[in-house]
Amino acid sequence: MKPVTFLLREQWSGILLAVVLGIVALSIANPTFNTEFNWFVLLRSICVVALAAFSQMIMLGVGQMNLSVGALGGLVAILVGGLMDAWGVPAIPAASIAVLVGGGAGLLNGWLTVRTGINGFVVTLATASAFTGINLGLTRAVPFYHLPADFVAFGNGRIGAFPLLMIVPIIVTALLAIFLNRTVKGRHLLAVGGNSNAAELSGISVSRTIMLAHCLSGLIAAIAGVLAVAQLGSAQPTIGSDWLIISFAAPIIGGASLSGGSVSITGTVVAVVLIGLIQNAMVLLAVDPYWVTFLLGSLILAAVWINRIRTVRMERAQ
Amino acid sequence: MSLALQSITKSFPGVRALNDASLTLVGGEIHALMGENGAGKSTLIKIITGVHRADSGTLKLEDRDLVFSSPRDAIAAGIAVVHQERNLIPHFSVAENILLERLPTRNGLVDFARAHSETRQHLAKVGLNIDPATEVRRLSVAQMQMVEIAKALSHRASVLLLDEPTASLTEAEAETLFRLVRQLREAGTAILFVSHKLEEVLSLCDRVTVLRDGETTLMAAPVVGMTRGNLIEAMIGRSERPVVPRKRGPQLDQPRLQTQALTTSYGHKAVDFTLHRGEILGLYGLVGAGRTELARALLGQGKIRSGQVLVDGAAVRVRSVRDAIKRLRIGYVSEDRKYEGVILDHPIRSNIAITVWDSIARTLGLLTRNDEIALAAPLAVRLEIRAPNLEQRVGNLSGGNQQKVSLAKWLAADVDILIIDEPTVGIDIKAKSYIHELINELADRGMAILLISSDMPEMVAMADRILVMHEFALIDEFVNDRRYETASTKIMDAIHSVTAGSVG
Amino acid sequence: MTTQVQSSSGASISITGLLTRGSTQFGLLIILSVLWTVFASLSPGFLSTFNLNSLGRSVAVDVVVGFAQMVVLATGGMNLSVGAIGVCSVMLAGYFLQVLGLPIPLAIAGTLAFGGVLGWLNGIAITKTGVNSFVVTLATASLFSGGMLILSHGVPLNGLPSEIGAFGKATVGPVPALAVVALAIGGLLYILFAHSVLGRQILSVGANSRAAEMSGIPVSRVIVFVHVLSGVLAAAAALMLTARLGAAMPAVAGDDWLLPSFLAPVIGGTSLAGGAASVIGTILGALLVSTIRSGLLILQFASFWLQFFLGVFLLAAILLQRYRSVLSAREQTRQA
Repeated sequence: MKPVTFLLREQWSGILLAVVLGIVALSIANPTFNTEFNWFVLLRSICVVALAAFSQMIMLGVGQMNLSVGALGGLVAILVGGLMDAWGVPAIPAASIAVLVGGGAGLLNGWLTVRTGINGFVVTLATASAFTGINLGLTRAVPFYHLPADFVAFGNGRIGAFPLLMIVPIIVTALLAIFLNRTVKGRHLLAVGGNSNAAELSGISVSRTIMLAHCLSGLIAAIAGVLAVAQLGSAQPTIGSDWLIISFAAPIIGGASLSGGSVSITGTVVAVVLIGLIQNAMVLLAVDPYWVTFLLGSLILAAVWINRIRTVRMERAQ
Repeated sequence: MSLALQSITKSFPGVRALNDASLTLVGGEIHALMGENGAGKSTLIKIITGVHRADSGTLKLEDRDLVFSSPRDAIAAGIAVVHQERNLIPHFSVAENILLERLPTRNGLVDFARAHSETRQHLAKVGLNIDPATEVRRLSVAQMQMVEIAKALSHRASVLLLDEPTASLTEAEAETLFRLVRQLREAGTAILFVSHKLEEVLSLCDRVTVLRDGETTLMAAPVVGMTRGNLIEAMIGRSERPVVPRKRGPQLDQPRLQTQALTTSYGHKAVDFTLHRGEILGLYGLVGAGRTELARALLGQGKIRSGQVLVDGAAVRVRSVRDAIKRLRIGYVSEDRKYEGVILDHPIRSNIAITVWDSIARTLGLLTRNDEIALAAPLAVRLEIRAPNLEQRVGNLSGGNQQKVSLAKWLAADVDILIIDEPTVGIDIKAKSYIHELINELADRGMAILLISSDMPEMVAMADRILVMHEFALIDEFVNDRRYETASTKIMDAIHSVTAGSVG
Repeated sequence: MTTQVQSSSGASISITGLLTRGSTQFGLLIILSVLWTVFASLSPGFLSTFNLNSLGRSVAVDVVVGFAQMVVLATGGMNLSVGAIGVCSVMLAGYFLQVLGLPIPLAIAGTLAFGGVLGWLNGIAITKTGVNSFVVTLATASLFSGGMLILSHGVPLNGLPSEIGAFGKATVGPVPALAVVALAIGGLLYILFAHSVLGRQILSVGANSRAAEMSGIPVSRVIVFVHVLSGVLAAAAALMLTARLGAAMPAVAGDDWLLPSFLAPVIGGTSLAGGAASVIGTILGALLVSTIRSGLLILQFASFWLQFFLGVFLLAAILLQRYRSVLSAREQTRQA
């Protein structure tokens, strides 16, 4: 397939165009945009968002949703902060423990959804509240400030414009791409999202697949939480509080099917870049930051509407 | 090899689907399973394929007692099934769908090259020449079904279950399928062929088991020497229904509903018919002939490409179902009783009053329970709806009573034209004759009724005139002499003449 | 392996029977009574006028927020922009009262109308595009709150006419005025759902929109209506909140309303699948949440753990409901 045809077919080509145009426009509008430091800031800001988006994207892939993405990430954030600050655990073990706890929390979400048969929406709404509650209970709204120097250095470090932090989302993206496109378990996950009945009849265990998806979602949200602490240089109890909408927005704008079973890693990444670009632009152009929120809503609507038209057109062609 | 189900009983909330039913399959045989809708066929299939567990009875494979707790167990036991509804993952490729649970791997990753080459072999067996990488949602409905059949065959199962497999296949595709099925029979597979098409069963199958009202009425009978009449008798209890006498005939000088050269987005071609006041016009056709779609087009769903619809002689454009009901006074008793004809979770009184809430409301749109009961009670009495009271949830009623509720709401709406779609499917004998008497009474009182049915005896007993539809076109129309032999032969001849040389 | 199939004769008195036959609302009432007794005995301050009034005022707002979600849940959809509409309404009310100096009745009417318009936009977007309500209202939540915050910069307005704050503190006899308002709204909604054509149409669309459509119900119109109603109720809650705080503070609404808007109806028996709505249940649900919050506060329980308990409690309540419906289905199968 010719490159042009390939691009036109993919749903995220429109967003990519917007990104390219945006970069060009911003470079003209404000010379500060194209500086090494600004690129560093921009790239660093999308690291956490990308992971939060992936965390939700997996759930959309399996045909479910996880409203506790932010709360879980936030809980892991203060956990890793607490381990390092209050208990003096070095960075890597602390991060590992925290991430594992995140995976466990995700598993709890999955187990509750599957065992009780209650709608995943309600289950994760409730656990979100519980996780936030634990967060508040443990921290009493006081951040953890005293983090190991190497951890903070990792969060601030860069090579030119390339933030050291970005290594993590890059690795996660690659692993996720391999998982969803090339492994049996990953294909089964998307199969369950695409038609859980057909998957069950083929012998795939839908319940176990949903639990796996929740576990992965929790793990990735946890990694996002750890990164957020590194980025901020302190473990704020408010980490994760604004992740929910973006965690849905990016995959949806990136072309994820709402009925499940079809997600685009590339699309999600491009959407995350677009959102980051918009946020960066707001700061540089000294525009009211609330415009970001407004634009986000418009983008979601536009993306979904276009997706819908595409689907209707395809059904008609059959 | 053999698969034997003995004395299977299965109940669901409010209904007993199977009552001491039995079925025995043997390898090297094509075994038909027949029965009307609601006879218990799909429940029996779900038990064989592990979706449901029987409440009592035994399932034996090669004389080993088996219990399936999930579809995986059935697959593992060597039972493959192609269902009536599509079960494919839309965004996945043909190869991934066929090999879904056994994707080939290399070094831990999916080996797509091998998956594609394996799939090509499976596809060749069913004569489907498409790229294994094609996304399934881009295929036609018929192609999708062939993919599913390829998938079932790829399991090299000892038992293959085909549920209404030719429903969306052309003659040529059906032929290919039959050739395959015969090959499998030679290879020793036990094949269960579920179909309602009498001709298919008579020409393809070796034995037949018939279910009626959850029980086995014909058990593994050899097809050789069997007639259509034998099969019908086993399915419905008698070959002819005693003619239900009408008091008044149709008033042929008063056309109520007409179509002229109607072509629809569903695929109807130049449909012409006239329905008169006080007439029961039967519309017969096999499943998939396009009858329900015609009804939907008349109700304003689906686009009318060309031609006209006339009500009382005047051309009309039906804007919506609501418009059809309120302005044109056309009602539709849905074929899908449970999920479209009634609202299972709501009480009888509101299910009956739903069509006329705005009419019986007081000022400001207020409406009390008693207002609904005042409307519904006389109808419930008239239709002999069996329930402790009108607050009863409709989902708890028997199929026959549910259908009565569905009918009652159209009586409440006081429509002039009523399209009734498969009124007595899955309903007990007593309720069936009751509903037939009711339909006659309504016609006697002047209602114009379009009766859609694939139940031949019902059609012959009830209709004043009969239309025959096949593949979205009307292929015959005649006055019904109400004699089963002549009328049923006329219908079958009409269908045969357009499907000449297809089956067998 | 064979199970005995029992034929149904008379109803047997059993724990199972009581659990499945008693209504959700009745069960809630019992739990509430138990909780109040426990809290009152552990701390007499719980039943003090001050505490009860404070409880009543916060419950009043929560109840109406719950109503805003309940009416949409009844059709099988959801409205994630309840908080955003609340934020917009708070700011608009503040603007009307403080900046424009409009008479209070006019400001109230204008705010409610505005909430309705925002809800109408939701409804139109959903019915015209065919996209599900989750995504549409997720997007409009951002759109509405972003848009309003651009215009107003989220600056709280403290110079409202004193009648507003006074109403917030007023009582009608022993009961706070705000609670009376909430109950009045509840009364109207009850009449809507139990005794009106529109209410029945809403519940039919939620229970089975196909069957409703085929019976002549204007499904799209009904969906737009519930979203308009949801918007008006969200605006009403915003007005009540403003009265309670004595100032227009947009930060208090918004995301804070998401959980309570679902909690109250869902605990109270309104199903996410649609087709049933319980006004009394929503009131009891909101009351239950506020009771726990208030009780734990009074007992000086580590207040930071409150949120945790609420989440756990929501789960428990839903688990119980789920268990009940499973039991009831089993009962019906046995009787078949």
